[in-house]
Amino acid sequence: MRSTFPLVLTFLVGMFMIGEFFIPHWRYHVVTAELLEWGLILAAAAFVLGLINLVQVNLPKVIERSTDWQYKSVMLIALFCTLAAGFGGGIERQSAGQAYKWLFDFLFVPLNATMFALLAFYIASAAFRAFRARNLEATLLLGAAILVMVARVPMGENLPLLGDKLPQFMNWIMDVPNIAARRAIFIGAALGAVATGLRVILGIERSHLGAD
Amino acid sequence: MYRFFDRIQHMDRRWIFLGMALAILIPMLFPITFEFKVDERVQALYDSVEEIEPGSTIFLSADFDPASRPELEPFYRANLHHLFRNDVKVVMATLWEFAPPLILPIMEEIAAVHGKEYGTDWAYLGYKPGKELAIKAIGENIPKTFPKDYRETPTTDLPIMRGFKQAKDFAMIVNVSAGFPGTREYVLQIQGQYDLKVASACTAVSGPDYIPFYKAGQLTGLSAGMPGSAQYEKLVFPDGPPEGIRLLATQGINVLNLGHLYVILLILLGNIGYFLTRATDAPSGGKGG
Repeated sequence: MRSTFPLVLTFLVGMFMIGEFFIPHWRYHVVTAELLEWGLILAAAAFVLGLINLVQVNLPKVIERSTDWQYKSVMLIALFCTLAAGFGGGIERQSAGQAYKWLFDFLFVPLNATMFALLAFYIASAAFRAFRARNLEATLLLGAAILVMVARVPMGENLPLLGDKLPQFMNWIMDVPNIAARRAIFIGAALGAVATGLRVILGIERSHLGAD
Repeated sequence: MYRFFDRIQHMDRRWIFLGMALAILIPMLFPITFEFKVDERVQALYDSVEEIEPGSTIFLSADFDPASRPELEPFYRANLHHLFRNDVKVVMATLWEFAPPLILPIMEEIAAVHGKEYGTDWAYLGYKPGKELAIKAIGENIPKTFPKDYRETPTTDLPIMRGFKQAKDFAMIVNVSAGFPGTREYVLQIQGQYDLKVASACTAVSGPDYIPFYKAGQLTGLSAGMPGSAQYEKLVFPDGPPEGIRLLATQGINVLNLGHLYVILLILLGNIGYFLTRATDAPSGGKGG
């Protein structure tokens, strides 16, 4: 019963939601809209679960002073401070002068932007050490990458002799080989998603129920 | 020559980092500006906004975070100026949890510049978790998905929302997208089903992913990364910005010049070094490569 009931439920809901695309009756639509709202509520509830999970995993490690407990305590303090500032601020929390807004503007924004900006340095290092023309495929990739990089910035467009041709060639790379490859990937991924969806609905794939 | 490249091949990577920092800092301190052309996809985006009848309402999904802000905020700002200047009303929401404190102050600032009133000319419905599910719900029923706006006013009480229930009721959907959930999910979940007009501004890295949607007519226009934002700014403000408005992407794109050049230089140096050292090492390597 413990495994059969979720399988039957998955099958019924899955088939019902697929039916929406084939049965354009408003009564049918009312039920699918209701199910969709349940899904949204579950997605919001996942935040609460995430919060509980974070505390459950990290708090014992801070109490026991295990490896990296200092970082975990910073994380927990930040978590509760942000939560308190958010609830304390109410609907005005995003207005200037509120603690939540201050935490966001002066802690989160610089930290998030800094982490992302570091990518520029790692890309530079990777470009130097790893981007090698080892074979024909890598050489083609390298050539295309250099052309696109030059053509994407104004300096490339203003190069003498090549300036007009570069953006045209970049657009050809983007519009022809890029689209061909992307469409192949999209179609392959979509077929894979259909197959996985059917496996879940038909109960062949059971990993979401905790089975192997 | 061999020794030079051999030393370069094994140099401390902090020198590479320093070079990158200089490649970004120098053009910031001493700007060098180049003229740039407008891409066909950005022009199409601009034209599709121009085609919206004054008094119409569009749905704006602003889905970005501080990390993608330099690429997307300039577009977001220019797009709001463009829409409000053309008397188009804007209903905005977000599916990204880090977006609200970024997008709302900018919306309030630009609405005030154009003398637009909350509730009648623009509205902000807030953040909705659920990712793709939320997009599907926006396609089905907006007041049910967002029962209240960010000021706790029931969505159905907002004058701007009268007669607007589903995504297809809007003249257009503009998605400022930094990734998932974003443009791809809007196209997959609701654009095709409801035959919506969707325009997208995305990060440079997502641009190649969305070009097939543009070519298939599923996107009416596409602006990718900082170059796309700069081109859109150029179209919205052809005579330069009015007083008090800064064209952030137009300033930023010229900083990219040296950065791109530096990466290309590193690729070339790395490859020259690789081939020189490989050619020299191969005979004495014993294994013949």
